[in-house]
Amino acid sequence: MTIKASSVPQQVIPLAIIFAAGITGLLVIRHFLVPDTFGEHGHYRADAVDEIAALPVSYAGYQACVDCHDDIFTAKQSSFHKGLSCETCHGPAGQHVEDQDKFKPAKPHGREFCILCHGYNVSRPSGFPQILPNMHNPGKACVGCHDPHKPTTPRPPGDCSACHAGIANQKAVSHHTDLQCNTCHEVPKDHITQPRLSRAEKPTSRDICGKCHGKDATGGIEEAPRIDMASHGGRYMCWDCHYPHDPEATK
Amino acid sequence: MDLHAVTQAAAEMPHVTGYMYPNEAELHWSILIVIYPYLTGLVAGAFILASLERVFNVRVLQPVYRLSLLTALSFLLIAPLPLLAHLGKPERSYEMFLTPHSESAMAMFGFVYAWYLMVVLLLEIWFDYRRNFIEWSKTKKAALTRLMYKVLSLGTTDVSEKALKFDDKVGRIITIIGIPSAFLLHGYVGFIFGSVKANPWWSSVLMPIVFLFSAIVSGIAMVLLIYMVTSMFRVKEISMPCLNRLAELLFYALIVDFSLELLDFIQRLYESEESIHILSDMISSRLFISLIVTQIMLGTLLPIFSIAMARFGRFPDEMKRVTYLFAALLVQLGIFSTRWNVVIGGQLFSKSLRGLTTYKLDVFGLEGILVSGVLLITPFIILAVLSRILPPWMESGHRAST
Ligand code: HEC
Ligand code: HEC
Ligand code: HEC
Ligand code: HEC
Ligand code: HEC
Ligand code: HEC
Ligand code: HEC
Ligand code: HEC
Repeated sequence: MTIKASSVPQQVIPLAIIFAAGITGLLVIRHFLVPDTFGEHGHYRADAVDEIAALPVSYAGYQACVDCHDDIFTAKQSSFHKGLSCETCHGPAGQHVEDQDKFKPAKPHGREFCILCHGYNVSRPSGFPQILPNMHNPGKACVGCHDPHKPTTPRPPGDCSACHAGIANQKAVSHHTDLQCNTCHEVPKDHITQPRLSRAEKPTSRDICGKCHGKDATGGIEEAPRIDMASHGGRYMCWDCHYPHDPEATK
Repeated sequence: MDLHAVTQAAAEMPHVTGYMYPNEAELHWSILIVIYPYLTGLVAGAFILASLERVFNVRVLQPVYRLSLLTALSFLLIAPLPLLAHLGKPERSYEMFLTPHSESAMAMFGFVYAWYLMVVLLLEIWFDYRRNFIEWSKTKKAALTRLMYKVLSLGTTDVSEKALKFDDKVGRIITIIGIPSAFLLHGYVGFIFGSVKANPWWSSVLMPIVFLFSAIVSGIAMVLLIYMVTSMFRVKEISMPCLNRLAELLFYALIVDFSLELLDFIQRLYESEESIHILSDMISSRLFISLIVTQIMLGTLLPIFSIAMARFGRFPDEMKRVTYLFAALLVQLGIFSTRWNVVIGGQLFSKSLRGLTTYKLDVFGLEGILVSGVLLITPFIILAVLSRILPPWMESGHRAST
């Protein structure tokens, strides 16, 4: 196998053939393997959208349930779980709506299920009710005490930490550990049963800190470090610089 | 909830101190992602070393010219494997080439890789060996071996003065194209980390440059190591001028690399963004061994001093060799730690800047030590095989005639 060429150096020829074959190969493969509708809307296969739209619908939506389970719906709307859709807990139930005998939605009795949402996790928003699973009535089924459709607790939570666990935890290990929440917050009685209707107040004036930290404050705690309220921090709120639930005084 | 409850919650995640967001407690980028920049760094470094000889005519480096190219090739072949293993679904990876996504740096990198492999490394190696292929396809004893070289020569036969000159010229042009390509290959890795805006440990424009210089450091040290060890096994005299020059280059590269990292560090310290506290916490606790001890002390300062002493002091050759070997080994440890500190370090602290987590290295499994070990050893096996087929030893200097 000898290749003859007059002007082109001999070694360029096989390389050119290989590269040409490679690039042509890629183009040919592209032609066959890249789906026809690729790139129509974006960097994906446009057909995929229709294919997904054509999949059978598994969820029926909560309105579908109301037709037959209106009692449960009414109960649910009266309590804390009113924001949750039936199928959030019972799973997709489209088939059940079509044929109740053939398909029965799951009933999630287990503790683990409720813990998915209510287990303590600092990243949950403040105000969300959380429990420490191995301290809150361990071993017993949640649904034994709480009606999942009407989870109003048998008695109101005893402590703000029921719903503000993150803040309470942070305060517990801070310089303000001995302070009660209501030292700074005015909390209406109903806040612990209907937190969204009856709202707790946040301090609006720096005087509240001055009660203990002002130079000649007498009403507060003795060992609180003192500052000159008139000059310290200028015209800013104290909590623009110090987080009230875990105050630091870094120099 | 009382204090007891706080400690209880903390007890559920003993490897976390301070505050971590829940999705940060476990690391997503494992040791495989440490190995990846380590390997591409070796490729880029070895190639840049080879191009010094080729483009800048550093003749003393001739004995390691081909060795550097083969080293680069061996490591390049394995470099994407850690990524494929980490991402999963390797059978889909070719799709990246079929539907190029020009806005994704990661997707475009597939092309940089392909370009570097096909157009730069393979071509340069082919042009360099072509004459030998033709020669071996006639002189080797076994018929099969002759056939193999025939195939490798791609049917070319021309070994005239003019043809060889042409080979040499093309090789040189490819090398010139290759240098920016090598920069791109490894600069890209730094770029990917450097452009993660949300991560104060990574986000830095210096990142690609620091990566590049550490790549050059590791590549030179690796070629030096391989050269010494293979010479030992082949019972061949090591070319002392070449070794000295390698050590010298390693020394300068180390100094530039270290200065750049120091610059980066001082800049951060001076900028003193809000992340500085958690980063210094991390350096003094989680990364103390891998950053202060192995990266800086053992992997950078000790090699710098020992090479300086051996190269510029009055050491007998035997002592020099031992020192270089020792320094090059330490440099490998140091650069591996560098990669570790970047990749793992960037994931140890919380974006809340309030807590640190710990990386637990598995032994088994796809992301474990065993697989990593295999990935790190395979390039050497490939190199051993390659050097049988394409002997890189150039005691006599192959291009002397041209
Ligand atoms: C057409 C009326 C109808 C609709 C609509 C309907 N259900 Fe039912 N559902 C029933 C009947 C009847 C039963 C009792 C079946 C039985 O006990 O054998 C039942 C039982 C259930 C059960 C208990 C299953 C068990 O194992 O005990 C659940 C849970 C349930 N439905 C959830 C839903 C949800 C969620 C929806 C809305 C997506 C829904 N249902 C919509 C009629 C309906
Ligand atoms: C917070 C999760 C949750 C939501 C939301 C929820 N359920 Fe349930 N549901 C449960 C659990 C848990 C059980 C099982 C209770 C038991 O076994 O005592 C259950 C039981 C049922 C039953 C069986 C009969 C019964 O009363 O025990 C029906 C029917 C039912 N749910 C319908 C609904 C419908 C309709 C909705 C929406 C209006 C709904 N559920 C919303 C958790 C939920
Ligand atoms: C999908 C998440 C989710 C699941 C699962 C869930 N809940 Fe809830 N739960 C909520 C939400 C949301 C609220 C209302 C919080 C609010 O008002 O801010 C709530 C409120 C409550 C409350 C009221 C606490 C109080 O006094 O403020 C109780 C008790 C409760 N759930 C118990 C349960 C039980 C028992 C289960 C298991 C059957 C369960 N939850 C499953 C989301 C969930
Ligand atoms: C033995 C009965 C019982 C069991 C079992 C039980 N709880 Fe409670 N739960 C209560 C009572 C009573 C309250 C009222 C406040 C209190 O005493 O803490 C309450 C309060 C709550 C609250 C409001 C926050 C708080 O701390 O007050 C949530 C959320 C809650 N429970 C979820 C659950 C979940 C989830 C389970 C299952 C893992 C569960 N409960 C099991 C009796 C029970
Ligand atoms: C049943 C759960 C629950 C309990 C118990 C509870 N809270 Fe709340 N709290 C909430 C929720 C939910 C919100 C958020 C309300 C909203 O954003 O509309 C909230 C909001 C607040 C706010 C912020 C209001 C604002 O304007 O942002 C304060 C302050 C507060 N709570 C203090 C307290 C204190 C102090 C206690 C204890 C005496 C307490 N809460 C007990 C659920 C609770
Ligand atoms: C030293 C006074 C002080 C104490 C004690 C205190 N708070 Fe506050 N809290 C504040 C101030 C001030 C703000 C407003 C902060 C802001 O607006 O940035 C606030 C804000 C809040 C908010 C709104 C969300 C947030 O984080 O800004 C909640 C909820 C809250 N506090 C709950 C509590 C609870 C629960 C306790 C008891 C465990 C408590 N606080 C104890 C001073 C206090
Ligand atoms: C009821 C009294 C009281 C009130 C009201 C109070 N504090 Fe304090 N605070 C204390 C005490 C007591 C300490 C010192 C605790 C210790 O010795 O660790 C303290 C400590 C501090 C510190 C110093 C932390 C450090 O690192 O040394 C700061 C800052 C602070 N508080 C800010 C505030 C702010 C801001 C407010 C208003 C939102 C406030 N405090 C309201 C009692 C109070
Ligand atoms: C502009 C930011 C800023 C504001 C606003 C501010 N502080 Fe401070 N605070 C600081 C800094 C910084 C320090 C620590 C350095 C120092 O002692 O001056 C500090 C220290 C403190 C200390 C500890 C003093 C000690 O001797 O340990 C207390 C108590 C305190 N502040 C309370 C307050 C209170 C109460 C307010 C509101 C009237 C407030 N701060 C407003 C920035 C601020």
